[in-house]
Amino acid sequence: MTSTVRTRRFIVIGLLPALLLFSFFVIIPIIWSAYYGFFDWKGIGTAKFIGFDNYSEIIHDEVFWRSLKNNMLVVAASVFGQVPIALVLALLLLKNSWIHKFIRTAVFMPMVLSSVVVGIIWGYIYHPEIGILNFLLDSLGLESWKRQWLGDPAVSMYSLMVPIIWNYIGPYLIMFIAALHNIPSEMDDAAKIDGAKGSRKLFSLTLPLIWDTIKVAVVLCISGSLKSFDLIYIMTGGGPAHSTELLASYMYNNTFAIYRFGYGSAVSTAIIIISLFLIAGSQYLMKSKNR
Amino acid sequence: MLQRRFSSGLANGLMTLYALVTLYPLFWLFTSAFKSNEEFYSRPFQLPTTWHWDSFSRAWKVSDMGTSMFNSIIVTGASLVLTLIIGALAAYILSRFQFRLKLAVMGLFLLGMLIPVHSTLVPLFIVMNKIDLLNTYGALIFPYVAFELPIAIFIIQAYMNTFPKEIEEAAHLDGMGYWGTFLKIMLPLSAPALSTVGILALLRFWNDFSFALVFISKPELKTLPLSLSQFATGYMTDYELTMAALTIAVIPTIILYLIFQRSIMQGMVAGAVKG
Repeated sequence: MTSTVRTRRFIVIGLLPALLLFSFFVIIPIIWSAYYGFFDWKGIGTAKFIGFDNYSEIIHDEVFWRSLKNNMLVVAASVFGQVPIALVLALLLLKNSWIHKFIRTAVFMPMVLSSVVVGIIWGYIYHPEIGILNFLLDSLGLESWKRQWLGDPAVSMYSLMVPIIWNYIGPYLIMFIAALHNIPSEMDDAAKIDGAKGSRKLFSLTLPLIWDTIKVAVVLCISGSLKSFDLIYIMTGGGPAHSTELLASYMYNNTFAIYRFGYGSAVSTAIIIISLFLIAGSQYLMKSKNR
Repeated sequence: MLQRRFSSGLANGLMTLYALVTLYPLFWLFTSAFKSNEEFYSRPFQLPTTWHWDSFSRAWKVSDMGTSMFNSIIVTGASLVLTLIIGALAAYILSRFQFRLKLAVMGLFLLGMLIPVHSTLVPLFIVMNKIDLLNTYGALIFPYVAFELPIAIFIIQAYMNTFPKEIEEAAHLDGMGYWGTFLKIMLPLSAPALSTVGILALLRFWNDFSFALVFISKPELKTLPLSLSQFATGYMTDYELTMAALTIAVIPTIILYLIFQRSIMQGMVAGAVKG
């Protein structure tokens, strides 16, 4: 009898710190912000209840839709940029030779750098006057290709895709290599006996066998797209003219630049709902394709 | 045979080229740190004509990197210790004990992994403003630990699940209590999982920018990424200074990466798949 009491007490005491910290700094703020989303509030003073006004303003704000579209562009860049590049590299990098190890190390390297560092480096690369990209175009005689890479709203979002892709290929590469290593060697032998080689082997054997991993990678691209805030804050701050605004920077700018805490709370609630929908949707797609 | 060797050589060549292109921005950063401001944009692709070492000490002083390095070490260290202890304890209980709300607790942590971190910036700011936590070390330490706990718990718990039951039974016969079993048996045995969790958490805490940006405004509490971000606005035209500061900031993480490469890669993939 006493031993069950002791066990119970140990369970409670052991779980308490984790549960308290997690609830207080993750769950409760989210519930609060859902609540503040219904108020007009400047961060100080009294908050005025305004019902769904914040949400209807979000839906009618053109900048919000642009941010959502930019987030979707990041998803597209990841799905059609990172995944294929990582896959091709993985197919060629299976061996444990030093050269393959070196290439894997190099490709993964950007993942461990602070996004502040990555943002500043690429800011210099794209710089209109002193940037090495325009310098390179000049010395190749391609002056007409020179751009204000980050300053021209027509190209700025696309310029940002390159560092985003560059930054996050590593994990996909490692995932694909692990998946390829899991293909049983009997499969390889069977393919050899059947005379399947090259691209036929790739499309009829290898790709189907790692298809599940590819689907996981696509889901990761979707959920990961919300994380590019740091890079964009450093490189463009969401400008020029909101052309590179993401959902997170839209929320940040509305809250901390113009002190609309009620509105910012509503946006943050909207982001959580959107991302849960995206994750649920992508999970659903994966399930139905599994059959 | 000859043709095969040629094509694999070609593939290796192309991929090495790709690796070098990937590394080039870093290489350019390191060489530029030694250049003068004029050389920085007039000869961006060449090595420096004279190697300027003095930019490093100037960058260290001008941006007060000593202070921000100190703050980063305190915040990262404290968060790391808390994450490992609290996470391992919770993982031990979830892995070894049966109780009624177990599934609910695990579901709660799982939910935490689905929430995009950036969407909580505004709500967290409001909460921490209410309890006067803004502009303290705690404003970073507590959220870091809270957001790292789910993945820490899942990785450690999965590892502990593989231990045979006999281990604890033996400890029990030796008269060890739950705390003794946790501290003297489960913790040491989980060392590989703890080191994976630890290295990942360390990198995340050390590199975090968005929490520091929103929760810290006092100059004397700024962490390294936050003080570096001011170069993006303040000293952007003093190139050699900016490049030297970035180099100082990047070197420790690259060294860590080269040492712990295997567990970083595996951990990040495991974390990404679960997250």
